[in-house]
Amino acid sequence: MFKTIWFLNRLLHRNSGVSKHRGVVRLWSNAAEGAVAPPADCSITAEQAIRCWAQHFTLHGISEPLLSSQYIISHVLGEKTLECVQRKRLRDTLTDRERESVWELCSKRLTRMPVQYVIEEWDFRDLTLKMRPPVFIPRPETEELVSLVLEDSRLIQGESHRTDLRCLEVGCGSGAISLSLLHSIPQLRVFALDQSQTAVCLTMENANRLGLQDRLEVHLLDVIKDADVILSKCNPVDFLISNPPYLLSQDMKTLQTEILKFEDHSALDGGLDGLSVIRPILALSSKLLTPRGRVYLEVAPCHPPIIQQLIEEMMPGLLYLETRCDLTNRPRFCILQKKGEDG
Amino acid sequence: MAVVCFGKSLSRAGRQLLNVTVFRSITRASVCRCPAIHRTVNSTIPHAQRAFHASQPVMVTKILSVEEIFNKKALHDYLKKKEMEYNSCLQSLNTESQTLDDEHVKMNRNNLSVLGPLVQKIKELEEKQKELEDTLDLLKDNDPELLELAESEKEACLAAIQDLRQQILSLLIPEEESDMSDLVLEVTAGVGGQEAMLFTAEIFDMYHNFAAFHGWGFDILEVMSSELGGIRRAAASISGPFSYKKLKFEAGVHRVQRVPKTESKGRIHTSTMTVAILPQPTEISFTISPKDLRIETKRASGAGGQHVNTTDSAVRIVHLPTGTVAECQQERSQIKNKETAMTLLRAKLFSARLEEETSKRYLARKLQIGSRGRSEKIRTYNFSQDRITDHRIGKTVHDVHGFLQGEELLEEMIVFLQQFSEQESLMDILQDCDQNQ
Repeated sequence: MFKTIWFLNRLLHRNSGVSKHRGVVRLWSNAAEGAVAPPADCSITAEQAIRCWAQHFTLHGISEPLLSSQYIISHVLGEKTLECVQRKRLRDTLTDRERESVWELCSKRLTRMPVQYVIEEWDFRDLTLKMRPPVFIPRPETEELVSLVLEDSRLIQGESHRTDLRCLEVGCGSGAISLSLLHSIPQLRVFALDQSQTAVCLTMENANRLGLQDRLEVHLLDVIKDADVILSKCNPVDFLISNPPYLLSQDMKTLQTEILKFEDHSALDGGLDGLSVIRPILALSSKLLTPRGRVYLEVAPCHPPIIQQLIEEMMPGLLYLETRCDLTNRPRFCILQKKGEDG
Repeated sequence: MAVVCFGKSLSRAGRQLLNVTVFRSITRASVCRCPAIHRTVNSTIPHAQRAFHASQPVMVTKILSVEEIFNKKALHDYLKKKEMEYNSCLQSLNTESQTLDDEHVKMNRNNLSVLGPLVQKIKELEEKQKELEDTLDLLKDNDPELLELAESEKEACLAAIQDLRQQILSLLIPEEESDMSDLVLEVTAGVGGQEAMLFTAEIFDMYHNFAAFHGWGFDILEVMSSELGGIRRAAASISGPFSYKKLKFEAGVHRVQRVPKTESKGRIHTSTMTVAILPQPTEISFTISPKDLRIETKRASGAGGQHVNTTDSAVRIVHLPTGTVAECQQERSQIKNKETAMTLLRAKLFSARLEEETSKRYLARKLQIGSRGRSEKIRTYNFSQDRITDHRIGKTVHDVHGFLQGEELLEEMIVFLQQFSEQESLMDILQDCDQNQ
């Protein structure tokens, strides 16, 4: 913060008058009275604002400076990405309201707040979801986790007598996984749970916004502490899905500031070996799944062999089906199956 | 179907572009959507004006009129051959149906259905020609009332004959499988900096309007804008009946000559942009093995997953065997960008394969498709002289602003190109026929 004001003061003293052809940063800083106040008198186009703030983010060591600037300003202009904004619009002067909005949001980004929290929304597969700190922001890998489920033709086509499918999601966060599945599988009903009240509320809010609330139940429950409650409240399910916290505790301190400062650590920290939440989920699944029902998990790249061994040694009711990689070719997904009645 | 008669070229000399007179005679059966066609389009491009661009001498092949084609022995031989084929198929089906196997019967039936309409038209043409002869006899009469009747009969006959001939020619030209597909349109700014990018944006808008004009879908796959509102590169998926067939000859280098917005001294500049047209295959007809692909994302470094939060969801796909690349950063969702990049990649690979198949056929032609024609200057848009010239066929039209609206004027040009291409196909067929005899 101090750095910003100091920098601004330097520029203010150096310049006089508004010069259109010289550095856009000066254009802005002339009228600025502080780090968050927008220039009251000067007119600025969307293009200029993007460049100006990108430069400013760079100066402050904010990651992805240009992208941050583009996403925020496109959002203010009512679009998702810069490519969607009409080219002519970029050269129009921002209205007062737009300018104030840009300044307010970009100033938030200066505090290392992730863009998704700054604009309070993000896309996940076909859906646009509301985002709110500290609820965990969905990662692109998780989009592929949902694909895995949708590829399982038994679930989509289904046997002719099945009019409903049931699923349990552990750790629903913003509701990304559950709502994507509900959106794509009309006969699905989901029982979602999270140990954070904020997450539960956000999932319900997103469900309502997307009109998917009728087939969704969201509960404030902890898979470690409330296993019995879950078993009593939730009927058997055809599959279980989760993106549980899987980071190793020792890796938590190497996280970027955006994550450390703003996202819920309990959505990330999986304990010493990263399996502290995964273990109870597996234990739960062998009790809750219908025979031959499946578990779809997103995990850390080091986990698949460990989980495979764990299953063989400690969970005789489960069968390890396969490991799938994400787009970057890292082992990322574990698919398991509850053994049928025949063993 | 509109009938077009091409007039003979008037002069031919060294580096001069030819004057081409185009007029249309509209028959009862056709619908003309372009009232502008009724104008005679005529233009002379004198040699001296072209000092600032080097164009190759365009020796337009003599565009034959329907009569001239029908005067060719090769055509009559070809039609006779087709009639004989038809008759032999008919005969074999009628007499030997019990003894031939299924494959043979199926093949004969197929041939019959393909040749049937053609043979029918040939018969109709012969009847009309007989009718004409009878009418001409009547004209020898001295009765003025009868003469008047005979005259109008003659006119009607001639018109019908012309129509039938055109229909026969159309039936002779083979359908290309890819004509039925949708396409991906790619525009890239070429030489000329900001001005080239502005021009690229105008051309992209032109095709956008053209798609709307025809009621086709136009989905933007990627856009890379420039600072002044131009486009560096863009791609769109166009879908609709005959969209590829109509747009396939738009590929190549388009050139603009005008005083750019960025120019302070009022000098004319020449800038270029390139259009690429890629037919888009259906899912079933063309599959790519995932093993051949390398998918690149920004999450490649570090541990990925929960460990990283970025907003960079751009995806780049490389097809390893051919080195073809497609990328997309249009959406916030990475998986959506991947799907779009795949669509783009499939279109590129499909068009490359298609090209291998058709390159021999198109080898000697003026109107090229695919990457052969990609670096050729196909069209110049001259603002100060308000004209657009297609260099492959030597056709010039006026009203650049109207043309860039992407409606009737562009449609006019495209129909012209289609018919020129059909003529080239036809000549190939007749040449083959000649050679085989």
